[in-house]
Amino acid sequence: MATVPDGSELDSLLRRCARRDAAALQTLYARVAPQLLGILVRLLGTRTAAEDALQDAFIRIWQQAGQFDRSKGRAMAWMVAIARNRAIDLQRASRTTVLLDAAELAGAEQLQVDGPADNLEFGATHDALRRCLEILSTAQRQCLLLAYQRGLTQERIALLIGQPLGTIKSWIRRGLESLKACMGS
Amino acid sequence: MNYDRPELLERLAAEYVLGVLRRRARARFERLCDEFPDALSARQRWEDRLLPLSLALAPVTPGADRWPRIQRAVDSMSDSGAAPTARSALRRWWPLALAASLIAAAVLIGKLTFWSEPVWQPMAVLAPANAAPLWRLERSADAARINIRTLGPVTLKLTQSYELWVLPSGGGNPVSLGLLPRQGSLERHLTPAQRTLLLAARQVAVSVEPASGSPTGLPTGPVIIVAPIARAT
Repeated sequence: MATVPDGSELDSLLRRCARRDAAALQTLYARVAPQLLGILVRLLGTRTAAEDALQDAFIRIWQQAGQFDRSKGRAMAWMVAIARNRAIDLQRASRTTVLLDAAELAGAEQLQVDGPADNLEFGATHDALRRCLEILSTAQRQCLLLAYQRGLTQERIALLIGQPLGTIKSWIRRGLESLKACMGS
Repeated sequence: MNYDRPELLERLAAEYVLGVLRRRARARFERLCDEFPDALSARQRWEDRLLPLSLALAPVTPGADRWPRIQRAVDSMSDSGAAPTARSALRRWWPLALAASLIAAAVLIGKLTFWSEPVWQPMAVLAPANAAPLWRLERSADAARINIRTLGPVTLKLTQSYELWVLPSGGGNPVSLGLLPRQGSLERHLTPAQRTLLLAARQVAVSVEPASGSPTGLPTGPVIIVAPIARAT
């Protein structure tokens, strides 16, 4: 389980980055780069692609630090969103067909065997989400995790799980609705 | 779509953060977030809700060479006097690419007169020197969006990408407008800064970059196209 950096420290580092303090960016990198890279490796599949995306993400964090508004969200959520969005954009730009190639199929089979829902680790602060994921059907939970953590499109999930695309879309939509209802706000 | 419906905004926000929206839908939702605070709030609530799923993943330590690369990129952004290597490549290719692109742009603008879709304005045609055009660029009237359409087969190694740049009219470093698609079309929302630059700029350029785009924020590979921007009519 990763140690989540202290939010107020991250806020302060981002404020310093906005003032063009390069030392603050280096500290920020030391604090959050491993966590972001862990996310990117799962989304992009290869370490090289993930490290390239990480590099892009930090350059964007530097460029956009002035736009971070603490009143509208947590610093870690803001940085994770920048990294995830970069990875998703790269994925969408490079994978233009919905057909799985041999390597992806092999990876997908591995995922299926692993059962990603059973491999999650949660800290105490994440209890609400863990409890709410447990109320979803196994199929809904698996679809949400394959999409969010592995970056699979709905078309790829359909091929992987062997269900029609409409069914996958429905599972995802209902899963998200249930999650929101369970977590409140 | 009627974006006033809160349930629709909520669903789009959830699917955006989950990562299952298609490229165009993603771009539309990002634009929506710029225009409607409710959309942005819904998106941020979902980013917060799902954040533990990201933090649950085991960290991976980056290679030791990564931080120096970021530092160099950040330094080069701060140092306005530094002329990046890629810019000399821009100067080498400029005359040839300009000639080819002017012809292509003239043909395109002639054709576009007859198009029925009024939302997009022709912006540029991107053609390598002595080769068929590869992409057509259009922009919305307010330059808040650009639409990129591939015109023919785009061949490139999987480890590489083509990146689009706007060349500021008063000189200065090229500014990235993102990666170009290999097939199909792609709509992209521009930041206010990109938009201002684009409205004043006269040229765009295309460089060959690593698959994830330029690691430095400036062109690093060969510049294969410099194309004029058509003036708004």
